[in-house]
Amino acid sequence: MASQLSREWFGIQQFPAATQSKLHELLGKLKQENVSTLTILVMGKGGVGKSSTVNSILGERVAAVSAFQSEGLRPLMCSRTRAGFTLNIIDTPGLVEGGYVNEQALEIIKRFLLNKTIDVLLYVDRLDAYRVDSLDRQVIKAITDTFGKRIWRRALVVLTHAQLSPPDGLNYDDFFAKRSETLLKYIRLGARIKKQEFEESVVPVVLVENSGRCKTNDNGEKILPDGTAWIPNLVEVITVVISNGSKPITVDQKLIDGPNPNERGKLFIPLILAFQYFFVVKRIQKAIKQDIAKESKPLWELRDMGLANRKF
Amino acid sequence: MAFSAQRLTLGAQIPPSGSAHDRRSASAAASAPAHHLKCVLPFAKTPSPKPPTNWTRKKTLATFFSSALASAAGGGFLLHLSTPVPPPGNTGGGGGGGGGWGWGGFGGGDGGGFWSQIFSPLAAVAREEDPTGGGGPEWDSHGLPANIVVQLSKLSGFKRYKISEILFFDRRRGTTVAGTEDSFFEMVSLHPGGVHTKAQLQKELENLASCGMFEKVDLEGKTKPDGTLALTVSFTESTWQSADAFRCINVGLMAQTKQMEMDPDMTDREKLEYFRNQERDYRRRIDRSRPCLLPMPVQREVLQMLREQGKVSARLLQRIRDRVQKWYHDEGYACAQVVNFGNLNTREVVCEVVEGDVTQLVLQFQDKLGNVCEGNTQLAVVRREMPKQLRPGHVFNIEAGKQALRNINSLALFSNIEVNPRPDEKNDGGIIVEIKLKELEQQSAEVSTEWSIVPGQQGRPTLASIQPGGTVSFEHRNIKGLNRSIVGSVTSSNLLNPQDDLSFKLEYVHPYVDGVYNPRNRTFRASCFNNRKLSPVFTGGPGADEVPPVWIDRVGLKANITEAFTRQSKFTYGLVMEEITTRDETSSICTHGARALPIGGLSMDGPPTTLSGTGIDRMAFAQANITRDNTKFVNGVVVGERDVFQLDQGLGIGSKFPVFNRHQLTLTRFIQLKQVEEGAGKPPPPVLVLHGHYGGCVGDLPSYDAFTLGGPYSVRGYNMGELGACRNILELAAELRIPVKNTHIYAFAEHGNDLGSSKDLKGNPTEFFRRAGHGSSYGVGVKLGLVRAEYAVDHNAGAGAIFFRFGERF
Repeated sequence: MASQLSREWFGIQQFPAATQSKLHELLGKLKQENVSTLTILVMGKGGVGKSSTVNSILGERVAAVSAFQSEGLRPLMCSRTRAGFTLNIIDTPGLVEGGYVNEQALEIIKRFLLNKTIDVLLYVDRLDAYRVDSLDRQVIKAITDTFGKRIWRRALVVLTHAQLSPPDGLNYDDFFAKRSETLLKYIRLGARIKKQEFEESVVPVVLVENSGRCKTNDNGEKILPDGTAWIPNLVEVITVVISNGSKPITVDQKLIDGPNPNERGKLFIPLILAFQYFFVVKRIQKAIKQDIAKESKPLWELRDMGLANRKF
Repeated sequence: MAFSAQRLTLGAQIPPSGSAHDRRSASAAASAPAHHLKCVLPFAKTPSPKPPTNWTRKKTLATFFSSALASAAGGGFLLHLSTPVPPPGNTGGGGGGGGGWGWGGFGGGDGGGFWSQIFSPLAAVAREEDPTGGGGPEWDSHGLPANIVVQLSKLSGFKRYKISEILFFDRRRGTTVAGTEDSFFEMVSLHPGGVHTKAQLQKELENLASCGMFEKVDLEGKTKPDGTLALTVSFTESTWQSADAFRCINVGLMAQTKQMEMDPDMTDREKLEYFRNQERDYRRRIDRSRPCLLPMPVQREVLQMLREQGKVSARLLQRIRDRVQKWYHDEGYACAQVVNFGNLNTREVVCEVVEGDVTQLVLQFQDKLGNVCEGNTQLAVVRREMPKQLRPGHVFNIEAGKQALRNINSLALFSNIEVNPRPDEKNDGGIIVEIKLKELEQQSAEVSTEWSIVPGQQGRPTLASIQPGGTVSFEHRNIKGLNRSIVGSVTSSNLLNPQDDLSFKLEYVHPYVDGVYNPRNRTFRASCFNNRKLSPVFTGGPGADEVPPVWIDRVGLKANITEAFTRQSKFTYGLVMEEITTRDETSSICTHGARALPIGGLSMDGPPTTLSGTGIDRMAFAQANITRDNTKFVNGVVVGERDVFQLDQGLGIGSKFPVFNRHQLTLTRFIQLKQVEEGAGKPPPPVLVLHGHYGGCVGDLPSYDAFTLGGPYSVRGYNMGELGACRNILELAAELRIPVKNTHIYAFAEHGNDLGSSKDLKGNPTEFFRRAGHGSSYGVGVKLGLVRAEYAVDHNAGAGAIFFRFGERF
């Protein structure tokens, strides 16, 4: 973080007054809870609107966005301070390439995140994608493998392109519910979280619309089809997630490397060795002795030892 | 060479049995020794039932040499069991050497019968004087009217008579003995069609008369119209009182009792005393004799023979002798010999056997020309390989001789080994086991060359891949005569650029760590080595793009002690210090595995190749291996159990202070599914092979030490490492072998599993190279000599393929 210059958050001033006051209120609340820094990690497949979301939240054009190709090959961190509160948003490149999880990209992200603390993960996907497939699962698995299961206790699912008309006259709310349900299911599967455990701490789903054609309400706030202003809503959900009692995730070398299997059970080696000596080696030695004793000697040898008793 | 029966001669005195039947007249009969019979049991027929005593084992030490430095070494191994030369003292027959001993008395019976045998050189004699020089009918007509009976004495001494017929006439029964298989015929050296002079015929008669089988024997000729003679041997067979007990004693090494001269002028009282003495002596002799090896079933058989016969006749004794000797020879007691029957005319027949006691074990070294020389090898080294049955005091058995041969051969110190039993001249009935050894050269060096052809793309070899390779090796054997050796070899698969790929090995072997005289068999080995292997960890899964290979170079030192419990079971423990370098195709050090990316580039962020991450690891660890192997061959197929436990224990010495416990347990069972009779040429049984292999590692595990799944020795039907690389491994296999003609066909099913431990390997090479982590296969195959041809179905892909492999899977 030291390397990143944190600038004053000017972008907030571009928000409508209602949004500004709401944000100030939420930030103040966070400050009351002794949280003065908020680091948001934004991850997801390519082209789902990660960078746009970052831009929208900050109200600045920090991340280059282009319609047809991914720009971000490297993660990007923007730090903004406002009234003693620091907001860090880390934008990351898309995790998918050529139908596989791009491990190289993941590797770069990991290295980038070294020694940073992540308060919230925004897992970004599109609302208007109808299908969820194994690739989503792989992406989620890759994220889980990198940061551990508990990242999902600090995660929000962000669905972009919220302003859409559902296909085949489906009710918007039903469509949203269905979409979020399937996605959450895949998160649960990909992260291999137990069903019960997952239900206890639901990953909240938030809708986002970054498009400039986004409707606004009377106050000039960008709103969703259901009328809620989404930026304050998003920040509010973030604050809720932060205060759900889970710990922020500190990315250190250990986390990046994953649990080192080479260290596991090392302490038990003397015990294992003792077990092997007494229960394996000794047993085999005993078996060899039995073999020697049982070895069928030729008759002439038995006769020579006087064991034949003239029987054969 | 062959064993032939040892010849022992005993002169025998048999009183005329006419009087011997009568107790009362026994003394009189004895006092009037009408004629002393010498018993000669011809033994000329022995060569037929000889044990197979001559075999040669050739071994070639060198295989293929380039001619410049070639040195071929080869040797033959002979179990040289030659004909024991008869002790000189005994050749004479008559009363020579051992002499005869008489026995008679009132208590046990009247008149002892005893007879003995010598190897009769009659046949040879007859042939020698056979005047068949020129071919043609070289014989003279008898010149007498046809069909008259001529006494032997009436024949002309100058004529050569042709014998056209030989008849045996039993005077007692009044019948002619028919059938050429009768034991009489083998005693006579005359054969129908033979040409003999009078002197020869007289000699023949003398021999027959002295052999002890007949009380009385006569030879008559009957003239035939064609000028030939028909011989009639009319005889009265010697018989003794019927017996209902049989005893076999081992008289080996006992002094032959001397016959006390009987004075013809002895009074009755003296005679009585004399016989009593003899009886007492014999009793003592029986008591002193050692029990013989003849088992009860055979003794019962003999007893049966005695009972069926009623009276004990010479022919019966001959049959008994043959039976007893046959048993001994069949069991490998090649030097055993029935020397005498004693106690005749009592209820018990005593069969005296010289079993062939070893009196001395002689080790002899020979130089190249076969002269006795002083050997470099210490005697104790050879001596400890001897089965104790060859030591003095034991009965010589040919199997013990074979075992000694095998054991000594396994020392690999001698080019020629002969195990040679011969009669002890100073000790009647004793056998000296003589072992003649020809030592191999102490130093040897050899060079071998080879061409290697590596299949390139599409499996076809390219011209560039044909490389000359070669090995230079030297050996210094048998240092200090204690079988210590230094062996070194340098191999390169590319002689054009040897620096690319040069492997060497230098090994010092020090057997008998606990001393040559200590039965504990521990061998110390120290070696320094260098080798290069392709790592199967960095291999792609099925259908994956070619994975850039990673070579593992190991240079190091190894020292261990091997304790051999049996020929196959052993325990090895020692220390290994090595440096491992991982290299890529271009021989430069690489630190991580690579994978071709879909866009064409190489992703170099694969699993780390070494523990240290630098591409070079150094480490020292302890290694132990215990093998229990009780497999044996049943008609050429392996049957038994084999368990191997191997352990590598890291000691925290080396790069990154590696501490690990890497263990493997392999259990293999060869189950014989049908009981079969064992023996050469008998059909082998079907065998079910069950095999399990578990491997695991706790602690630091670099990729080159990971367990790999797939390959001809892991899961057949897959390539080496095609199924994955993991921390824990479980392989199960079953194979059913069914013998067909000279070889066998087999069906197998195998499974290998990583037990979910692939992810516990750093970098997860299994997943990185898109491998399954587990897999099964099944198939059938046929063994063609050393090569296995098999069709294996890979269960992951469901496709089958034909493989050719060398050697055995288990």
